[in-house]
Amino acid sequence: MADEKPEGYWERASREPWNEWFPTKAVVILGVIFALIFVYGPLGGATDTETAQAGYRGTGMATIQNAEVYAAALATVDLYPEDEAPYEVEEGADIAGEYYENVQVLGHVSVDNFNRLMNAITQWVSPEQGCAYCHGEDGNFASDDYYPKVVARRMIQMTQNVNANWGDHVAPAGVNCYTCHRGLNVPEYIWFNEPADEGRELLGWDNNQNHPNSRVQSASLPSNVFEKFLLEDNAITVISQNVREQMYPERGIKSTEWTFGLMVHMSASLGVNCAYCHNTRSMGQWDQGPPARTTAWYGIRMARELNNEYLAPLQPVYPEHRLGVTGDAPKANCSTCHQGLYKPLAGKDMISNWPELAAPAPAAQQQAMAN
Amino acid sequence: MADYQNIFTAVQVRGPLEMGAPATDDSRVGTPFFNYWVGKIGNAQFGPLNLAPAGAVALVSFTLWANIIGFNMLASVGWNPVEMLRQLFWLALEPPGPEYGLSLLVPLNQGGWYLIASAFFLLGLVSFAVHAFQRAKAMGMGYHIGYAVCAGFWLILVLGLFRPIAMGTWSENVPYGIFPHLDWTTAFSLKYGNLFYNPFHALSIAFLYGSAVLFAMHGATILACSRLGAEREIDQITDRGTASERAALFWRWTMGFNASMESIHRWAWWFAVLTPITGGIGILLTGTVVDNWYLWAVEHGFAADYPQVYDPVALSPADPSYGAGVRVMTNPGDM
Amino acid sequence: MALLSFERKYRVRGGTLVGGDLFDFWIGPLYVGFFGVVTVFFSVIGTALIFYAAALGHDGIQTWNPWLINIAPPDLSYGLAFAPLKEGGFWQLITFCAVMAFSSWALRQVEISRKLGMGLHVPAAFSIAILAYVTLVVIRPLLLGAWGHGFPYGIFSHLDWVSNVGYQYLHFHYNPAHMIAVSFFFVNAIFLAFHGALVLSSVNPQEGEEVRQPEHEDSFFRDFIGYSVGTLGIHRVGTLLAVNAAFWSAVCIVISGPIWTESWPEWWNWWLDLPVWPVNWAVNQ
Repeated sequence: MADEKPEGYWERASREPWNEWFPTKAVVILGVIFALIFVYGPLGGATDTETAQAGYRGTGMATIQNAEVYAAALATVDLYPEDEAPYEVEEGADIAGEYYENVQVLGHVSVDNFNRLMNAITQWVSPEQGCAYCHGEDGNFASDDYYPKVVARRMIQMTQNVNANWGDHVAPAGVNCYTCHRGLNVPEYIWFNEPADEGRELLGWDNNQNHPNSRVQSASLPSNVFEKFLLEDNAITVISQNVREQMYPERGIKSTEWTFGLMVHMSASLGVNCAYCHNTRSMGQWDQGPPARTTAWYGIRMARELNNEYLAPLQPVYPEHRLGVTGDAPKANCSTCHQGLYKPLAGKDMISNWPELAAPAPAAQQQAMAN
Repeated sequence: MADYQNIFTAVQVRGPLEMGAPATDDSRVGTPFFNYWVGKIGNAQFGPLNLAPAGAVALVSFTLWANIIGFNMLASVGWNPVEMLRQLFWLALEPPGPEYGLSLLVPLNQGGWYLIASAFFLLGLVSFAVHAFQRAKAMGMGYHIGYAVCAGFWLILVLGLFRPIAMGTWSENVPYGIFPHLDWTTAFSLKYGNLFYNPFHALSIAFLYGSAVLFAMHGATILACSRLGAEREIDQITDRGTASERAALFWRWTMGFNASMESIHRWAWWFAVLTPITGGIGILLTGTVVDNWYLWAVEHGFAADYPQVYDPVALSPADPSYGAGVRVMTNPGDM
Repeated sequence: MALLSFERKYRVRGGTLVGGDLFDFWIGPLYVGFFGVVTVFFSVIGTALIFYAAALGHDGIQTWNPWLINIAPPDLSYGLAFAPLKEGGFWQLITFCAVMAFSSWALRQVEISRKLGMGLHVPAAFSIAILAYVTLVVIRPLLLGAWGHGFPYGIFSHLDWVSNVGYQYLHFHYNPAHMIAVSFFFVNAIFLAFHGALVLSSVNPQEGEEVRQPEHEDSFFRDFIGYSVGTLGIHRVGTLLAVNAAFWSAVCIVISGPIWTESWPEWWNWWLDLPVWPVNWAVNQ
């Protein structure tokens, strides 16, 4: 009897009636199903991801992309038509301005290279309609009767300006027509002004937000961020650089939502997230974030200049079906070039073969052409 | 196991409907009724409700508040009810813009509706708190619920009244909408330099998580001892039984310390109540006393240094002393 | 002082899962058991490693300021391999010790529950908290293919991680599981306040009054909001709220990256694009 030890509650409880009917098997089966769903399920159903680290380890600064989506975006790079190498220009060769009539922007280019560029533009912008898209069917290449030609001339000037003056944003890859057009007459990603609210005099004011909005990835953030920041010159900076002093008292939470909307658009256009340019623990401090942020800073200014100097003023040139609901011209934002990659066309060199697009004509020749 | 572990009620006992313990006033309304499925987890009886004046005022005020929001949402989708359902999470009643400051004479459709709705909300909150105190008084009970309600209202009032007044503009108010109030929350953190570095926000989160830990610990302990009647907490407090003893010993043996059947409710009350109290302090200081919490953390030495993994960009390009010319950037993707 | 007045009669043998009577004893108020030994083993090693890593610092940064100590996971380039100690290896070892210590703690709770004839609710609830931690530092890194996706061990550095990982999805508040988890946390806090307050207000009544009974508790809440869940029900509700808060927290992070890589606001397009809507309104351009 000395071996008999006193019983604990557990031993006594195990003899209680519940132990007889307790559905052990059912509980085990349920447990296995639970384990399958929550352990095996995610492993089997997980997305194939591509990740890249952006900051110091453990800061969570990483780009996580869906491998399929990323591969599809990269595949678009291969669609770029092959460049024709520039012709050597001999001393005294004919230049386009003298050889052809009404060549206002590319007059300083040699005839051979001018035709080479015209061919390329056809491939970049109107591969189906060919020369006729800008020059018409009647073969009068000097005529300005067709609006696409007038637009194209301005776009060539724009491209020259971007390559010559916005190296902070586009160097060293540079841009040409294909960067935006991708073989389409009108680039896929353009934007128009939003129509004003109507019929809500008494109630229902929404302050340009609080609806699902594709400009900000379907968030309820403000929708007119392009008008505010890429056309008008509204302040983007909202965070005080001072601990206790309101540096921007007029820029409150509502302004912040506008800035946030723009940033959401930028991130989505580039296929990245906020941590690509910011260590988000401190969005405002330049010394905290990756240097990509400066490239983006120039990009905002560049887009604003292009919209104001080149794209919006073309409004009178367009036929009605090219205009937005408020009658404004199509304009550019980050998506127009980037199309889901943080370097458009994965940083492919777009300019080395096109010195004609790298800079405006030298001043002396511009003067000569104007005459 | 479901029966033994007491997660659901297996056998529901249906006695006569209870009309309530005696109170000094009698303003209970409605006929109580049973709901079988609710009875699976708790009491099956619904009602009666006490509609003493404070409770009735609260009910009417909250209803008006919700209706003003709802009709503004409906108007914002062109009075299309299907579209309202589709966009419900996105819709909101927006506070006035900063141009109106603290004016109460805001045009109805520029935030005026928001102010009217907020006035009803405020009236509802105050009545609801009064309701809590009155009901306790009528039955001779302590005011603990009333004070807990006040702690929650402190946070709401800081967000909707005290802080906007301190900032001098109603435009700092939270919009009444599902996604829009989340947009506001993120914008609030962005604008004021990262709320994670606000120590009162950190405290509030600690109490919020602590409340979850405490309720899991307490609820699970009581359920685990429920075959011994642990849920009869008042009995266990006034006349300790084996359920209370085992519950205490469980934690004593686990972590060397235990609360008593009464003191666990004091722990619970303080953790839960300190969540909005500390949170409200953190919100009230934001933008009024401290404008950039990250820089405040740097000043007070609790923002960690990370090794530089790329050339630092010391200045904004907007700064006049920023270097001119083409800079070839190192993108993180290239590293 | 080690024994409460009623404690001796509860200190009986049995209920252990492993080790029989070998570790079936108490030290002071604490029960030991096999899993107590395992818990102590791993927590001592893990804590020592934290101090060792803090003493060595990383990349030339060393601090004893408790707010600033940061023990970071390896670079993503290490993938799922072991990293050198000073480049994330410490983090890996500490993580292993933590998982082992937490799990043993839960199993020790099982032993104590059995010994006291209690249900297993406490270890069951605690295991969901462990699941949330394991999801963050093991399951999600495994799914993304690198230990570097775990969060760093540091008071404010882990908040920087939370911030950056949140903004990886542009606007993390739109994560549906995050919404559910936060709602559970908030409701849990409110219900905890109400439960604590109701019990206190019953046993601490108005001056000169007798202690109130559950009948008064039920009457108060029916008067207050029209429903009282009852003395047993509130503990079920509270446990479910708290456990769900932890569970949905785990869900909200494990789907961010492994399942959904885009921005969270974008996820809601499925709702906007449901075929049941009669017209696609112009607002969503």
